[in-house]
Amino acid sequence: MNAQATGHSSPPPAAAGTDPAPTTGRMRPSVLDSSRGGMWGWLGQRVTAVVLIVGLLTHIVDTHLFNLGHLSYLNIGDRLGSSFFVVIDISLLAAAIFHGLNGARMVVLDYWLQTRASRVALTIALWVLGSATFVYGLWALWPWIAK
Amino acid sequence: MVSPVDAAATNVGAGNWKGLGMWAWLLFRIAGIVLVIYLFAHIGVISSARWSGHSTLNSALTLFDHPLFVLLDLLLVWAVLFHALNGVRILLMDFGLGIHRHKAVFVVCMAVAVVGLGFFALKAFSYIAAHHAGGLGGLV
Repeated sequence: MNAQATGHSSPPPAAAGTDPAPTTGRMRPSVLDSSRGGMWGWLGQRVTAVVLIVGLLTHIVDTHLFNLGHLSYLNIGDRLGSSFFVVIDISLLAAAIFHGLNGARMVVLDYWLQTRASRVALTIALWVLGSATFVYGLWALWPWIAK
Repeated sequence: MVSPVDAAATNVGAGNWKGLGMWAWLLFRIAGIVLVIYLFAHIGVISSARWSGHSTLNSALTLFDHPLFVLLDLLLVWAVLFHALNGVRILLMDFGLGIHRHKAVFVVCMAVAVVGLGFFALKAFSYIAAHHAGGLGGLV
């Protein structure tokens, strides 16, 4: 059976309900559909990924390869005495919380939450949780930063 | 013959990549979930200094010097490296870079992750050897 006989000519028609827009670019539109997290979640995940690769590499290499040894309240303070590490740690805090919670959201959307209202509720709940965690993390680091 | 759309959906002709790609996806997801859990635990531990003083944090950090925790740290480093390098691969595919050599890109990314793990493993085991040469006794 050839492609013509199965009813599919070129370009192939999208399966109903999966690809609402024509596939014109490289990206399949379904990747950016709100049921898969939406365009902003997709973009935010990639921007924070780059921040995390640079920041986390600095964070882990500095903590475990260059300064390997016993960690303590005091030597954490030494590191946070440098404004470079303050910038690294605060951007890591924000990027990691966004990336982690948005990643968890992607997992949830893959299996559950078929209605738009429930997806919006999840997004709002995660923004509240993420913002609170960011403020809490800043509060936890503040004695070292302000010292 | 299947239509191009159906072929893409079912990954027809993917060969070995079909299995490998599935494992890469699954491990990526598992590592991601582990890292989210670790992130909140990490923030919790670091913030303990704010609740009950320096000594609480210091005793937690002393506990983490135990070989068991050093090995768990090494597992965590693997989760980070695998997730990061597989993520790099995904970013490259998003930019359309190396799509026609995607298996080679995967192999190179994993090689970088394994070499990175090697550095940390060397550090972890020499740390354990230096600080716990007398045996792997009780915690702390």
